[in-house]
Amino acid sequence: METYDIVVIGAGPGGYPAAIRAAQLGAKVAIIEREAVGGTCLNWGCIPTKTLIASATLYHRMVNAEALGIRAGAPAVDYAAMAKRKDEVVAKLRGGVETLLKGNGVTVLRGTGAFRGRNRIAVTPDGGGDPVEIAAGKTIVATGSTSVVPGFLPKHPRVVESRAFLDLKSVPKRVLVLGGGVIGCEFACLLASLGVQVTVVELLEDILFMLDADVRKILRKQMEAVLGVRVMTGRPLEHVQASDRGVTGLCGGETLEADLLLCAIGRRPVTDGLALDRAGLATSEKGFVRVDEAGRTDVATVYAIGDVTGGPQLAHAATSQGIVAAEDACGHGRPRNESVIPACIFTSPEIGQVGLGEEEAARLGRKIQVGRFPFQSLGKALASGEPEGFAKWVADAETGRLLGAAVVGPHATDLIAEATAAIRAELTVREIGRTVHAHPTLAEVWMEAAHAVHGESIHAAPRKKVKAS
Amino acid sequence: MVQPIVMPKPGQMTETCTILRWLKQEGDPVKKGDVLFEIETDKAAMEVESFYDGTLLKVVVKEGATVPVASVCGFIGSPGEPIPAVAPPSAPPPAAATSVPRPPAPAGVAAGSAPAPVTAPEAVPVPPVPPVFRISPRARRLARESLIDAEKIRGSGPSGRVVERDVRAYLDAKGHAKIRLTPAARALAARESIDILGLEATGDEGRVRVEDVERAIAERPKPMSRMRQVIAERLSRSVTTAPHFYVTTTVDMTDLAAWRGELKRAGAPFTVTDFILKAVVQCLIEFPLLNSTTDGRSVKWNSRVHLGLAVSVDAGLVVPVIRNAQDLSISALHDRAAALAAKARDGKLAPDEMTGSTFTVSNMGMLGVEQFTAIINPPEAAILAVASILPQAVVKDGQIVARQVMKMTLSSDHRLIDGALAARFINALKARIEDLETWKRTTSW
Repeated sequence: METYDIVVIGAGPGGYPAAIRAAQLGAKVAIIEREAVGGTCLNWGCIPTKTLIASATLYHRMVNAEALGIRAGAPAVDYAAMAKRKDEVVAKLRGGVETLLKGNGVTVLRGTGAFRGRNRIAVTPDGGGDPVEIAAGKTIVATGSTSVVPGFLPKHPRVVESRAFLDLKSVPKRVLVLGGGVIGCEFACLLASLGVQVTVVELLEDILFMLDADVRKILRKQMEAVLGVRVMTGRPLEHVQASDRGVTGLCGGETLEADLLLCAIGRRPVTDGLALDRAGLATSEKGFVRVDEAGRTDVATVYAIGDVTGGPQLAHAATSQGIVAAEDACGHGRPRNESVIPACIFTSPEIGQVGLGEEEAARLGRKIQVGRFPFQSLGKALASGEPEGFAKWVADAETGRLLGAAVVGPHATDLIAEATAAIRAELTVREIGRTVHAHPTLAEVWMEAAHAVHGESIHAAPRKKVKAS
Repeated sequence: MVQPIVMPKPGQMTETCTILRWLKQEGDPVKKGDVLFEIETDKAAMEVESFYDGTLLKVVVKEGATVPVASVCGFIGSPGEPIPAVAPPSAPPPAAATSVPRPPAPAGVAAGSAPAPVTAPEAVPVPPVPPVFRISPRARRLARESLIDAEKIRGSGPSGRVVERDVRAYLDAKGHAKIRLTPAARALAARESIDILGLEATGDEGRVRVEDVERAIAERPKPMSRMRQVIAERLSRSVTTAPHFYVTTTVDMTDLAAWRGELKRAGAPFTVTDFILKAVVQCLIEFPLLNSTTDGRSVKWNSRVHLGLAVSVDAGLVVPVIRNAQDLSISALHDRAAALAAKARDGKLAPDEMTGSTFTVSNMGMLGVEQFTAIINPPEAAILAVASILPQAVVKDGQIVARQVMKMTLSSDHRLIDGALAARFINALKARIEDLETWKRTTSW
């Protein structure tokens, strides 16, 4: 029986960095993957959607290019070509990950991993065949998550979740999106930018309900007014029926019709076939594997990371967690779990958020100060023709320590990086305010918002008072 | 006009108060009615309000210090006004508490421009404080900017005054220049006056993070509560002056517990403890020396039993007293004990309900202990520690049987009580508790 120091189950954005980190630290490492290396993120999530969004955004800007003084004629969408480009990007990145694993001496075992004991794992090869048993000093479970499709939805080719949607070779004319969370909103914006008629149905009172209201408001207004998305919130979608002619559903007494229903109501952990009980592990009620801050489970030799642990369902959170778990499993010092995790939403406009939000601070009863600055007062944003949105800081009222930030607007997903670094380094509002930001750039928005905390913005009218809550 | 802040007298019997926390700092503006500081007596905690508008010019009594009532705790006036000279701190004998210092008549303090007299005839007496810490303004500023506690520095100036070069030498010796803090950690340490020397650094490259400063804030020594100070004083005095010795016995509670179960089913409120208390009272009458009290030179044979009950309360312990317990039926004893314990837990015991006990029972029966010893509650002669009732293998009539047994330990003051007497007392108590026939005859329900 082949023996490895570390066996990682699942080669997604949590698993493969964990394997590489363990190999860097001198461990003999194997990684088990039953589908494609790179996991959901690379194959059916972050990367393919962002590739499509790049095309869709360019198309949308070309259609509206006259405002910037360009007549682009009548641009047309060739979705098959867009999808092909997406597949090429994914294939290229997947090859890159495979090369990295090989270069670091990580053994890739194709198949489904199942515990046979605390330190023994059987790998059943894809397409059947006898399982191969291996011995593992320590195991890192990184099996990720999959879309939840509720039972009331009919099983029909016109009812898809995100992964199946990405396999489509053409786009339908009308799409009904069930779920106004991150995935639902991203797809809604993507499709609407391509000219698809989109309706979003969300059971909660608003889309992206975990964000502060001021941030949500900007996105919703843009989605409705600019992209023409119909957003229906606070109501369930009922009586969904699918046929070859289309999909219908009842929402608030109104019958909605579409060519396709995209279900994006959430994701559940994947532990099927793992036989966690054979390792002595139980999952929580919702199916998650319970871990501590270093990714340790209730069994000393088993770690778990990423979506299967029920943390934020973000690739970069899984990567950070995976590296911490690998270092802990290899006995490498005292790894620190990173708690400052940015969230990026690739809607139109984009959203970036990190740390404490205003509403959460209020719930916790924390004394905070907030500084807000709109892009419409920023030279670069106006010059680029993207003046919508704002950035804001949430700071401790007593020490000025930066606790959280949110930005909605152009390049928000890139801009959030500065805020993340500042919060992790425990900078104060004054330090960001005094940090020279190059002009004219979108990043100036952070400097201005920091000044706004004390009502000292140079480029905002003085009536903007400090808001303390 | 500069006004002294005088420690109030919150109760008839209160001689001293402890300042728990100043809510105003030197230099803070103060309005009439603002809370200046929180105090604690041996009975209660309360807030002290200002009688004047102005600025808190000086804090004389620091947090954690205990001072006689009517002491001057600080001064309120206008910024820049001269503060009356205060009597140099000395360490008067403990008896000083009885001669209550009086504040000067407000009219006696010169208003406005006149500089304070060097030796004021009406100098305000202050309570004992540690030797004056002397530091030059430059040194003080450097220490403050360096986020360190200057009072830890040994001064090289006249009268041990700390000067700037002392601070610099101290910073060098402690490796201050190597300390790295995140900006927010620095802001927090400055705000909370945390000494950054010796902080654990958990950040990358050995940086001190906010979390590290927050830990130091949480671990900052706080004054002991008045209750804990009383406990500390009384129990230390007891173990150092009364030579304790201990005798333990095992009581078979099987029959009594079973009968008490019957009573309970019939609606009687009695607990096992009530029977033990009743037996204790009866034995104390039989052995009056166990019910005596002493000041170390004389012994007082008390003819009445005032039974103290050790009651655990939030963050401490109180001993309410059942007066004239010898006159009470078991039913009355139960009601009295329950009422006092409830009052104790609500913090509503009156002073006379906590004084004058002649013997104390400490019952840890509910806490799952096999045996323990208690410290005598002075000036009493003994205390009884009652442990839990636990199932145990016992030899009875030559057979090993499972019985419900309870251990009791008597702590006695050997100055008054000899071993043989203690043994006779505890065996008499055991016999009485185990005597089910007598209980049945004497208990009415």
